[in-house]
Amino acid sequence: MGWVTQASVTVTATSPALLDRRLLMFTGKGGVGKTTVVAATAVEAARRGRRPLIVELGHRASMEGLFANRSIAYEPSQVTDGVWAMNLDFESALADYFEQHIPVKRVARTIMRNKTLQKFFQAAPSVAEVATLNKLSALEAEREGGKPRWDPILVDLDATGHALMLLNVPEVMTGLIGDGPMRRLIDGFSSLLADPRRTVLSLVTLPRELPAQETFELYQKLREHHKVALGALFINQVPERPLTPGQAGLLDRVQSRAKRANIGPLVDEVTLARRAMRYQANARAQINRLRRAITMPIVELPLITSRELDPEAIASLGRSAIEQLEDRSAEDANTSHARRMRR
Amino acid sequence: MSGIDELIQRQKLLVAIGPGGVGKTTVSAAIALRAAQLGLRTLVLTIDPAKRLADALGLTHLDDRIREVPVEDLGAEHGVEIPGTLHAAMFDNAASMDSLMARVAPDEETRDKVLRNRVYRAMAGTLSRSHAYLAMERLYEVMSSGEYDLVILDTPPARNALDILDAPSRLATFLDEGVVKWFVGQGKGKGRSGGWRARLMASSGAAATKLFQVIVGKDLADETIAFFEAFYGMREGFRERASAIQSILRAEDTSFALVSSADATHMMDAQALAQGVRSRGVDIDVVIYNRSYERLAHDAPLAIITDPGKLDRAAALERMFHGELDHLDREQIRDLLEGLRVVRTEAANANHRALEAVRKLGSDLPESALQLIIARLDGDIRDLPGLLALGPYLAETRRI
Repeated sequence: MGWVTQASVTVTATSPALLDRRLLMFTGKGGVGKTTVVAATAVEAARRGRRPLIVELGHRASMEGLFANRSIAYEPSQVTDGVWAMNLDFESALADYFEQHIPVKRVARTIMRNKTLQKFFQAAPSVAEVATLNKLSALEAEREGGKPRWDPILVDLDATGHALMLLNVPEVMTGLIGDGPMRRLIDGFSSLLADPRRTVLSLVTLPRELPAQETFELYQKLREHHKVALGALFINQVPERPLTPGQAGLLDRVQSRAKRANIGPLVDEVTLARRAMRYQANARAQINRLRRAITMPIVELPLITSRELDPEAIASLGRSAIEQLEDRSAEDANTSHARRMRR
Repeated sequence: MSGIDELIQRQKLLVAIGPGGVGKTTVSAAIALRAAQLGLRTLVLTIDPAKRLADALGLTHLDDRIREVPVEDLGAEHGVEIPGTLHAAMFDNAASMDSLMARVAPDEETRDKVLRNRVYRAMAGTLSRSHAYLAMERLYEVMSSGEYDLVILDTPPARNALDILDAPSRLATFLDEGVVKWFVGQGKGKGRSGGWRARLMASSGAAATKLFQVIVGKDLADETIAFFEAFYGMREGFRERASAIQSILRAEDTSFALVSSADATHMMDAQALAQGVRSRGVDIDVVIYNRSYERLAHDAPLAIITDPGKLDRAAALERMFHGELDHLDREQIRDLLEGLRVVRTEAANANHRALEAVRKLGSDLPESALQLIIARLDGDIRDLPGLLALGPYLAETRRI
């Protein structure tokens, strides 16, 4: 697979900061720690006095696990100081949709209680996606005292496939839907999804070969086929250097001496350290590849070794993530300022 | 006979489920290779759209044909005998869906009606939900071919894996009992002449159709109904397959393998998955923890060492250099030895946490379940020798 460098679009210094967008969508392969990144970003948003809402699409045990196993339901609830979360399940989203679009509430409720009808809507194409987008737009539109109720909304997309499906809805439906309430609704989604000031899609990956490759492919697909603005690329679990360069330089010497003196545990330690250095070097190589091939602001998050992610660890991840983005946009501002000065 | 060997010789089907990002595809392929080493004719089927198995097996074609993986070189170059065979296949979603329709359709007219339908076209290409149906369909085909002693099915990640158990009957019941009946056949005289019940059906069907049109718009509603109408003609075919597949999945010679890492976030998903499978009346016979511990002693790679041990570093330094170092050198070496101590301690602690996690999940599993633990090996595994290296870990029976 070719890793072609593309540099046609750059993030300008004037584009709004990540947290200033209304709808922050996150996607990435399962197991890359997307849930952690979403949670950490939300915690940081709350620390800065905002009112973030995490929206899970499809239930994952791991989000509840990050917030002391507070259960997350359709109705938004506060999962930690200032952070709200909800699970956008399809059945409830569909019920909301019916309530809005069927004038007689009794009929709407009857339909939702009918198991067979529910199955029908589950199987009908794109209905799940439309109901989901409908709910997301409704959340985005919610106001309290003239201000948005949620600031921002962070959407944890189940998997890359799910993200693409949602983004595809307007396109898939274009040929299928004539004028009507649904048409207007979908036009509304299209403009929300395609508005870079409101909606931004961030990617999460790991500094390993296959996840990095898949991220690059996803990035290309998004760039070619979708109008959605791209946010940041979060590289999770970046290992630290196990030894300083000075220490590493002495490894050979210690290894041969330890062998000669027959100190087995020390020989093993050298092997272990070399392996840890290889992990770290491989991770670095993948990060460099991603930096060359992807023109998105990149955030590197450290590998956390504790048994469970405690609240402080999550908070510090979020802080580090947003600060890295701020440093970068400050740098961009400086460079473009310098460029203007030279002219 | 130890580790997974007994299981793969006894069983005909192994269904690998697990959270994303744990190397499920790699583990599935490694088990398949091990089975081939034991002399079995083996097939590994993957529905992971990332085509990782292709990377691991050197399959570069993107179609869904079953291919034999050349393993002779492996025998020659690595001194391993492989008396069995290894086959692999993956899915091309849309193409598989089309050929499924063609197989199930009772006649050409029905088939063409479905294949041309725009709703179907939109669905076949984009709906990830269809992966589960397709996997089951493909499975049915290869299981009934009798060409393989062992089939290993690699499933989509996490929660979706439960669709594997639910998908076949869901579609069949839906077509059979569902509201499809309300929508199909209207205005064609069907179901209108059968007394009050049929008339009621017909009138509520008309109401349901109207409602559907209001919600999604007339064009989409009509096309969807046409799609289900065509689909309805296939219900017999689907029902037969669904019950055949259900009995394969619940057969004595089928086992479910849970693949996870010992990492905290994966473990949560793995646990949820184990519970979901259990609630559907299926037991997990083996759990494989991939990339879960660090090898601390080079002469015992299978040992999971959790005790960093005590090494008198000052004495070690003396034994290695016998006072031949000047002050600066000595300080630097001492600094390195301290760095190495930290590396070892962190690795031992990580191993300890991994074993704790394994024990925790183990308490949720049947007592007879095997627990296999694979070390962190260098890099991502992308070739056959890499898969071969997993063998000893798969064969190691652990007492945890």
